[in-house]
Amino acid sequence: MQSGLDARMARLFNRHGDGRAVCVAADHGYMSDVTPNVVRLRQVTEAVIRGGADGILLSPGQALRLASFFRGRDGPALIIRADWMNVPRLGNTNVMNAVPQRRLVHQKILTAEQALALGATAITIYLFLGYDDDVEATGIEVCARFADECRRVGLPCIMEPLTFGSRVTGANNVELLTLGARMCVEIGADALKIPYTGDVESFAHLCRVARVPVLVLGGARSDNERDALELFAEGLEAGCHGCLMGRNVTKSPNPEQLIRQLCQIAHAGYSVDDALRGERWDHVRLKATPAKCTGCEICMVACVGAHDNGAFSTHPARLRIEPIALGRHRVMFCTLCNKCIDVCPTGALKWHDTTGAVELIAEKCTACDKCVDIFPTHVILRSDVGTPRLPWLPIICDLCASDPTCAKSCPTGAIWVDERKVLR
Amino acid sequence: MDSKLYRLDDLIRSKDKRSLIVDASAGLSLGTLPGLEDFERAVRPVLPLADGLVCSAGQLRRLSARTRHEAGLLVRMDWTNTLRDADFVLPPVEARRVAVLTPQAALDLGAVAMVSSFLLGYAEEIEAACLYDIAQWALEGKARGLPLVVEVRATGSRVAIPDKAIELGASYALEAGADVIAIPYSGIKSLKTIGEFVSVPWVLKPSTLESARDELAQALETGAAGLWLDHSVFAQPDPPQVVQRFAAQVHQSEATPCKVG
Repeated sequence: MQSGLDARMARLFNRHGDGRAVCVAADHGYMSDVTPNVVRLRQVTEAVIRGGADGILLSPGQALRLASFFRGRDGPALIIRADWMNVPRLGNTNVMNAVPQRRLVHQKILTAEQALALGATAITIYLFLGYDDDVEATGIEVCARFADECRRVGLPCIMEPLTFGSRVTGANNVELLTLGARMCVEIGADALKIPYTGDVESFAHLCRVARVPVLVLGGARSDNERDALELFAEGLEAGCHGCLMGRNVTKSPNPEQLIRQLCQIAHAGYSVDDALRGERWDHVRLKATPAKCTGCEICMVACVGAHDNGAFSTHPARLRIEPIALGRHRVMFCTLCNKCIDVCPTGALKWHDTTGAVELIAEKCTACDKCVDIFPTHVILRSDVGTPRLPWLPIICDLCASDPTCAKSCPTGAIWVDERKVLR
Repeated sequence: MDSKLYRLDDLIRSKDKRSLIVDASAGLSLGTLPGLEDFERAVRPVLPLADGLVCSAGQLRRLSARTRHEAGLLVRMDWTNTLRDADFVLPPVEARRVAVLTPQAALDLGAVAMVSSFLLGYAEEIEAACLYDIAQWALEGKARGLPLVVEVRATGSRVAIPDKAIELGASYALEAGADVIAIPYSGIKSLKTIGEFVSVPWVLKPSTLESARDELAQALETGAAGLWLDHSVFAQPDPPQVVQRFAAQVHQSEATPCKVG
């Protein structure tokens, strides 16, 4: 049944020809208490389809009822939750806890053949690690049975390793997730749905050892939608193939827009900022509203932290904040004015091809000081440390690869990013 | 129209999309009940007045010769000892629930729908088993054209917030594939929430027969499709009259005194 498996994997992961999928988990009413996203399931499902979701995860009952949403070549792929568990209602994990649970129960509900008959493009199942040995063994048994059933009917099996229980600590969580990812692949998973490990490096390692498409899940709902977008962007940077986000999308005040933004990041190569703006800017420039500046200098600390090996200082910052009167400040940064490039006698300064920021070609620099001198505002500085050839090098704003840290960290919005339409 | 919708129409009147269901299946767990000593004689007068009558498999066989103007017969698919109180002759030490019928057997009996309970507040395994059975019966029911009615029973000792537990049970029943849900009265605020998310017909299980009228009025306002009466109706001096009174309220026609039976 390899052809069936290939066809369904392609429907899920290759709708846009890029091997990526933006999916929504809308199966919470099957496991957790009745929250607003459960009450508004139909509306949320319609909204995420309008937003362009590539796949939607539903319980079997909702799959029966919402089957019409998945029709046609433009319809999203239907992913069915084939098992059930009570983790959201265990202990203090749920604020409502209408019927508190004492121990984890993980139950197989459907067969792969039944999911296929419901029109599934794939199924999802859990594997719990860290609770106790029995739960882990039962999980392995369930996963192995599903892998076998799915293989026979050509249905992709997405396994979801989750760390939960007293044997999970902050110290071993990433290791356990990586272990779970690999175990699922060894059992026969065709793809993984897995929480983000918290940093690009460890998640990249997880994706490498998995060797099957990985969908990052969003975790608990964040009030700031940028968090979900950044998590996804980092996941993609680490090498995952998409996302399967639940509460961040279904509890969002505007699920359609959030899905559209996730799709822009996955399928159109947008940055998080581009997605939030709704349009792609090839080049950016810094702008300031000095009246909003409080002189807190967080921008300068952030600039140094982002560039100088995480140093905590303001001295080598590529921008300056100067008080000019009580409560008033001057904000100075690279305005891309071209003066430094014009004054450089050796051509060591040029426009960066991709970001449009000023770029230093160190091999051509003679440390002549002209670029530093031309800016009395000190937005180009001498470095404290030189090279074997030169006593110092000019420190120049690189616009943080078109995602300036100073603007992101400014708490009042005094420094902000604008589109730079003309690249000189 | 598929055969499941055809059978649902036998249970829920197509004219007003409402239904009055009487559950007479408790004898499966509680034995002989007041008013139901002679089962057939007790329920026959109720059949023309109600839209559905829930029976155990054994009792349903005795009623299969019903006319098309009588209530559809629903069959109880599971057995539980959780209906028994502490003063019952054989009180439960541990809660138990088992499946006693298959969808094929229910179809063979001529039932218009299957009825399963969904128990909340007992051991985790009971909840998991309920969910498994409901999902399986819903799928088999779809294949065989037999609707599944799920009766939410949030009666276990571990229920901490009763109204939220009832909402949870309704949500689980829905997600597992129920075609109709019988939901206990959980207060007007909770009923409104239930009315918002339960996208299949749902009927109200009143707290008591005495409070049923007011609770039903609230439920109908929030989108309920009718009423579910339990076996206590048969303990009334004139069960058909009680059923007729509620039928009138459900179908919003004038309540007229009835001397049937």
